[in-house]
Amino acid sequence: MSAVIQASGLDKRYRRTWALRECTLAVPEGCVTGLVGPNGAGKTTLLRLAAGMIAPTRGAITVLGQRPAAGPAQLARVGFVAQDTPAYARMSVTDHLRLGAWLNPGWDGDLARRRIAQSGLDPRQRAGSLSGGQRAQLALTLALAKRPELLILDEPVAALDPLARREFLQGLMEAVAEHEVSVVLSSHLVADLERVCDYMIVLVASQVRLAGEVSALLASHRRLSGPRRDPGSLPATQEVITESHTDKQSVLLIRTDEPVLDPAWAVTPVSVEDLVLAYMSRAGNGPPARRQRLGVVS
Amino acid sequence: MIRLSLLQFRIQAITAAAILAAFAVLLAATGPHLASMYAADGVGSCHGSGCLSPASYFTGSLVRSPYGVLFLLSTGIILLAPAVIGLFWGAPLIARELETGTAALAWNQSVTRTRWLAVKLAIAGLTAMAVTEALSLMQTWWAAPISQAVADGSGAGVAQSRFSQLNFAAHGITPLGYAAFAFALGVSAGALIRRTVPAMAVTLAIFAALQVAMPLWVRPNLASPDRTVIPVTSLGGAGPSQTGPGGDRFTLYALNIPGQPGAWLLSSGPVNAAGQATSTTPAACASVGNTGVSEGAQGNAFGPGQGPAAFVACLAGHGIREAITYQPASRYWRFQATETAIYLVLALALAGYCFRRLSRLS
Repeated sequence: MSAVIQASGLDKRYRRTWALRECTLAVPEGCVTGLVGPNGAGKTTLLRLAAGMIAPTRGAITVLGQRPAAGPAQLARVGFVAQDTPAYARMSVTDHLRLGAWLNPGWDGDLARRRIAQSGLDPRQRAGSLSGGQRAQLALTLALAKRPELLILDEPVAALDPLARREFLQGLMEAVAEHEVSVVLSSHLVADLERVCDYMIVLVASQVRLAGEVSALLASHRRLSGPRRDPGSLPATQEVITESHTDKQSVLLIRTDEPVLDPAWAVTPVSVEDLVLAYMSRAGNGPPARRQRLGVVS
Repeated sequence: MIRLSLLQFRIQAITAAAILAAFAVLLAATGPHLASMYAADGVGSCHGSGCLSPASYFTGSLVRSPYGVLFLLSTGIILLAPAVIGLFWGAPLIARELETGTAALAWNQSVTRTRWLAVKLAIAGLTAMAVTEALSLMQTWWAAPISQAVADGSGAGVAQSRFSQLNFAAHGITPLGYAAFAFALGVSAGALIRRTVPAMAVTLAIFAALQVAMPLWVRPNLASPDRTVIPVTSLGGAGPSQTGPGGDRFTLYALNIPGQPGAWLLSSGPVNAAGQATSTTPAACASVGNTGVSEGAQGNAFGPGQGPAAFVACLAGHGIREAITYQPASRYWRFQATETAIYLVLALALAGYCFRRLSRLS
């Protein structure tokens, strides 16, 4: 699987604070990749670096094999929907579509008009008077109609109500199905990601804690509950991700590629949310001490 | 990108067009009457030194007519236009995109930021220059009788020479330079500070400071001044003033230089026979003036053989002459071109900064 985004040793510093520190990851091609992590993990910084909105302090990032925003051709290949889905408040929906048509050689006007009609937006309405959900649809339409190879969405649904969120994600999924476009979207709403993503990256303090296809990740993780027991006594093929114990009982979340045969355990499958929470709360694999200064709040 | 810039610039363009139209109507409605006043006062039909008197009458009557106020008002608009443009067109150009987050929208279309900025700067910047210069040209046409009266040798009240601070900045080609600079300054401040309102404040502060500093300290030195020494008796309307106990000190300024109409006087003061600056009244002259009061009063307050004229004659008799440093009137366009070039170079440097800043921004 080739990567649409490849980052290695990526650093981004704003004055004295590190927004991203030694981040290395790969986002696969042809997937809808969910980027999950606590606030301050560096998700937004990473996506803005990928879109070429900001330049890295150190390290390298390539998007579709090129430097981000390297030129008009590269810009045309990447669609970016920023946090809060900005739009020009004084410009109408139609004017925004004009903007897209004027500035993008690959503009798909039919797609844009169809999506606007489907979302029930009044083309004459000013963007400033649109609801959050409508504005998000407009921003997504602009990003999709330039027909990018990669679509980057930074927390596109964070500010939306559940219904608008579902409509937005539905529209996104339809577009992905219709046009061959790789998608990476960040969110802290795990339930949304579960619905749309087929690949997942858990980012904590700039480091990848977990990355993989969602189905494979779900298949390789189990929740075990049973009488209290020392996790050290588990077979070597079972990696303990999290553990919690009461006086009599132990609950473990483990990673294994083999069936759990021990009859003492009650074995249950895990959800995406279980996985994300487990990997977010798990102590990292020896993160560099200096990263503590980031003050990450989980 | 050009079409988008035009679309986004249309409100500003309409505003500018409305202001230009109002300005044009105001001046077109009053200009012919001003010109007829000029003709009625006989300035148009005079020749040579015979023009001084009708020209004086005309410039004097300006003060009593509404045209004096209108002249100052229109001049003020021309001088303020660059600042207003810098504040309302320049400062928000980048800062507002960053503030509202629309930069992420604008810079993720298939157009590089460099091109985005180049088109925006060109359209708004050139419009800024055109609007300001248009204001200036309209007012120059309107004020032609006043300028002519000044050229005829009668500067008074609002009617000042081309080198005066107001006229130099409002006429000629300097408005082009000011507009380009103020606009680029606003854009740069916005790119640096990233917030519109503080950027506006900084733009105003820097532009105002420069507009004060330029005529006071920079403009006089753009060419090394000429120096001349003339008899104190040829100073015309300038009156001496005696100070100190018994009038033992005096000052004497020149207001113009005979034979050099329209020259820009930078400094003037009496020198003694050895050519050294002096302010000591020759003992024999101390009682001749006998003014005791400052300023050049009219001769009728003095007895025969006394008064300012006698005092000046006495000074002349004791070898006192007036030394003047000045810029000849013929250097007007050289000064205009130099100052405009300075502002244009500054504007280009600021624009260059904006491009560099934008490549690292957000």
